[in-house]
Amino acid sequence: MKQFGTILKFELKNYFKNKIFVGITVFLVLLIAGVMFFPRISGMFHRDGVSESKERPVMLVFADRTEDMDVIRQSFTASFPGYDVRTGETDLTQAREQITSGDVECAFVITGPTSYEYYVDNLSMYDSKTMTADEVLQNLYRMNAMVGSGISQEDAQQILSAQITHQTKNLGKNQAQNFFYTYVMIFALYMVIMLYGQMVATNVATEKSSRAMEVLITSAKPVSMMFGKVIASCLAGLIQLVAVFGSAYLFFNMNRTYWDGSGIISSIFDMPLDLLVYMLVFFVLGFFIYAFLYGAIGSTASKLEDINTSVMPLTMLFIIAFMVVIFSMTNGSVDNLAMRICSYIPFTSPIAMFTRIAMSTVPFYEIALSICILIVSVVGVGVLSAKIYRVGVLLYGTTPKIGAVLKAVRRG
Amino acid sequence: MKLELRNIQKKFGEKEVLTGISFTAEGGKAFGLLGRNGAGKTTTIRILMDVFPADNGEVLLDGKAIQYGKVPIGYLPEERGLYPKKPIMDQLIYFARLKGMNHKEAVKSIDYWLERLGMAEYRNKRLDTLSKGNQQKIQLITALAHRPQIVILDEPFSGLDPVNAMLLKDVVKEQIAEGKIVLFSSHQMNYIEEFCDQIAILNNGKIVLQGELNDIKKNYVRDRLVVRSEDEERIMRELGACCSENEEGGLIIQLPSANDKQRMMRTLANTYDIDEVKVLEPSLNDIFVQYAENSHTNNQAVGVMGKGEGRQ
Repeated sequence: MKQFGTILKFELKNYFKNKIFVGITVFLVLLIAGVMFFPRISGMFHRDGVSESKERPVMLVFADRTEDMDVIRQSFTASFPGYDVRTGETDLTQAREQITSGDVECAFVITGPTSYEYYVDNLSMYDSKTMTADEVLQNLYRMNAMVGSGISQEDAQQILSAQITHQTKNLGKNQAQNFFYTYVMIFALYMVIMLYGQMVATNVATEKSSRAMEVLITSAKPVSMMFGKVIASCLAGLIQLVAVFGSAYLFFNMNRTYWDGSGIISSIFDMPLDLLVYMLVFFVLGFFIYAFLYGAIGSTASKLEDINTSVMPLTMLFIIAFMVVIFSMTNGSVDNLAMRICSYIPFTSPIAMFTRIAMSTVPFYEIALSICILIVSVVGVGVLSAKIYRVGVLLYGTTPKIGAVLKAVRRG
Repeated sequence: MKLELRNIQKKFGEKEVLTGISFTAEGGKAFGLLGRNGAGKTTTIRILMDVFPADNGEVLLDGKAIQYGKVPIGYLPEERGLYPKKPIMDQLIYFARLKGMNHKEAVKSIDYWLERLGMAEYRNKRLDTLSKGNQQKIQLITALAHRPQIVILDEPFSGLDPVNAMLLKDVVKEQIAEGKIVLFSSHQMNYIEEFCDQIAILNNGKIVLQGELNDIKKNYVRDRLVVRSEDEERIMRELGACCSENEEGGLIIQLPSANDKQRMMRTLANTYDIDEVKVLEPSLNDIFVQYAENSHTNNQAVGVMGKGEGRQ
């Protein structure tokens, strides 16, 4: 136990003395500070440059039926508040040139009561102006039709502008609201496990290739070595996460008023506490199971170069788990069969079960079962890894096959 | 203090690496574990240090099963290496603490050893900024700083210049004088001869020879004489084929049997102008080469040599 403490302290100190580790953490905190303060800072610039806001993009509207021109312009102006809507200023050829040169953003040519052409330079993926224009013209058409059949303009307007109100009574969880923070958390888990897993593997292989292992293995128990290293890297990872998310939370609250309009960002920071606890549990257990295996694999490599190929199967396993979860999340079916199965497999359950807890309603016994399987597996994998480690670190030369290592482990 | 290995056996897969190793090393004496590459020395040391268990046999300290964790063991491995990128003091403290010292004791002991080995100025330097010989001295500190009762030195002299080798010799002598069990493993026979009172020669996982070095030498077949004389050329001419030149000066005369020793000595003294005549004691090198090389054929003939049971 004393040895374990010494190893833990030594390994943890290595992380905090590592310039890259400190550098990345500071960089991430600064980046998040930049993002979180952005609305406040950009707001300050906007207030200074009042003249800027006057220059709204120009939208041209042409119509054959000049008698409706005023009505059309009023409707377009009302529906496109950010645009300077102009009618009948130039002809179409000129307008095309202006669009290409960028003086005018777009033009609508209304060819009939129910048809129009939309001119734009580069059609953006998110361009929804035609939808708005459809609506505007549809309303005008209906209005004309109604007035034509004897209904007064006021009545027609009232009919057309009738508002439907509704209320959603959600009995489970709101997937739309939970999606983003689940996504952020899953992604953080994925990144941290990948990065730190590789670090543990490299750390072990470096000790082996520098032959420091010869002294280490005769000074400390393999189990202490393995647990010391893995727990130290887990703590380092947690501290990094806390630094990044903690500063994000702090900076967000400092700028909360500036973010009021953005539901996505606010939803991330309004994550419920119980979910945060689950996140922590699954993070730690998931981290352990992978880090142990990465450490065991690192111990079988004689050269640092061998690590990348040795860890490939494990990395692939984790990527597949990640893909299953992300696909299920984006499909909105987080309780599908694959996810249910993945919730109990120790290598996939940390992210699969967490996603289900966050985005759906999972009975508590299922969560407890998943966590129990995971804890038992972590202990099992930890002990197995320590055994592989003890055998692996003494094997030099070519990287041995898994079968050969396991045989050696069984022999003791 | 007495360290005893009894009938240690170890298999790796189908391969028998050790087939019943037994020897005893005593405190205040150095014990030389010799053998060719792959003979099983490192495996024996690893079992002794509990890196992996033996399939059979036991390791005893003063007659009782050794309690790892309570008996500090110092080890200088043949494959040297520590953390190249870390400050020397940090890693030395780490290793001393792993072996059970507290921080204060560790710093005190390490400072003593850095001073003793002339390395104090490198205290806060990174290991990879040091020369190979100096790195080896740092490695020696990892083996000694925690005041081990058993010191295992695997090829301690390789890579050291004569001045550093002298320094190390003094350190080893101090350790022996302090009553520690010092276990040597080396291919450099001159060092073994200088330090070790007892040796064991391993070959193919077996001990093919062991005992007190002096006894082994004395009990070795005494059928060769070394002669120094003004008449060396005449002796060569007259005695013919049984004479050969000795590398260290003089002549070596091979006798038909050890029983002819007295007769030949008298003949030489009466016939020629003799400065010195004595029985040629074999060097450890000769013994090693003979046993390590011919063990396949010699196995039956070789017993465990102790006091008085020679191979006459």
